[in-house]
Amino acid sequence: MKMNLSSAARLAVLLGLLGTSAVLAFEAGHAAYTKRVETNLLTEPRPLAPLAGKLGYRRKVTINEVRGGWLRVSDGPAGGWVFAGNLAEKQPDEIKGADGLPLSASQTTATAAARPLTPAANDYAVRRNLGEARRDLDWLQAQCKALTPEEVNAYLQAQKKGEFQ
Amino acid sequence: MKPRTLLIGVAALGLATSALGQLDFGRLGDLAGKLKDNAKDLGKVVKGATGIGPEEEKVIGDSVALEIAGKYGGLVRTPAVMQRVNLVGRALARYSDRPELNWRFAVLDSDSVNAFSAPDGYVFITRGLYALAGNDDALAGILGHEIAHITGRHALKIVARGEFLTGATNLVAASNSKVGNINAQLQQFDAGIDKIATTLFEKGFDPSTEYEADRNGHDLAKQTGYAPGGLRSVLAQLQQRGGDPKKTFSTHPPLNERIKRLPDEPAPKT
Repeated sequence: MKMNLSSAARLAVLLGLLGTSAVLAFEAGHAAYTKRVETNLLTEPRPLAPLAGKLGYRRKVTINEVRGGWLRVSDGPAGGWVFAGNLAEKQPDEIKGADGLPLSASQTTATAAARPLTPAANDYAVRRNLGEARRDLDWLQAQCKALTPEEVNAYLQAQKKGEFQ
Repeated sequence: MKPRTLLIGVAALGLATSALGQLDFGRLGDLAGKLKDNAKDLGKVVKGATGIGPEEEKVIGDSVALEIAGKYGGLVRTPAVMQRVNLVGRALARYSDRPELNWRFAVLDSDSVNAFSAPDGYVFITRGLYALAGNDDALAGILGHEIAHITGRHALKIVARGEFLTGATNLVAASNSKVGNINAQLQQFDAGIDKIATTLFEKGFDPSTEYEADRNGHDLAKQTGYAPGGLRSVLAQLQQRGGDPKKTFSTHPPLNERIKRLPDEPAPKT
């Protein structure tokens, strides 16, 4: 197919726009998925609104309404408002353990608070003579542990980020 | 690669890493027995999109993170820097596709300009790149790109695709020596980490993977509430500055191509 430069440029711009809008393309009538161990459904589209219910990991919800960055969703009889950033457009992978059986998100890395290096990685550090790097990562873990979820929440509120926009 | 070969390779990594998770050099014999038992369950260890489950991801992530910290001068241990990079990073990670990972953000003590990620939530940017992120919008653009590599499991996909795994299925059967088995498993695991490290430090991800990370990182920053032109402004700064290309995002596609593919949005206010 022959294409002159300006049509090619227009197509490139269009493809670029399509690509960049993909993640933010929640629409009423479409489906979305929960991606946290627990997702709060709120009675109103604001972060500190009363709780209407909770949904577990990988639940498929229907989007009934979009209001700014907020979505009114339902999952059977359960329904409420969720900040769009708390949902995924694609269903998250099912997580399986070493025995091949499905795990709940709460059993995974996930919910894991800061943790020390795995024993196997410690052995790797010894084999590869990475003792200094191991001390660095131990320090990093301690620093990250010291920064609490409450502090992150306070930052979001103060900076008007996430659902506090 | 044929799907069956991939499946076998992935299963072998699962076996190797699950075994590594329990490694005790004083009890090699017991472990070798366990490895043989585990071998019967090869078919069961195939997990997730890449076939690598959460326990394996932790071991791989820790090991890759060790390599990154080791190669790039260790970590900058300035509390204010750590606080800033982790607040911005965790704000973004909270709305990422894997919000429950154990996210950790750090600055590497290197004046080169680059950023890296390792599976299981490790994000590193160099001191040279951190210095260019004069505001949180720019920093969010950089971190968002690395977060997208982790949520997209890009490094794990390299391992899952890696040819180094294809021979691993014969490890247990091929050797009569229990100690030999474990040494072979360790070598196999180390080769996998080398494969990821080579990609991160030398070859880079393929360009389409980098553009995907740029786009998804941009979207994540925007959705979290940061000015969406953050990453583009940093890339433009670098392009304008010129300098040694070996020290500036040397493992990424050309700056002009990355800039061109991002939306032309105003640079964040400094």
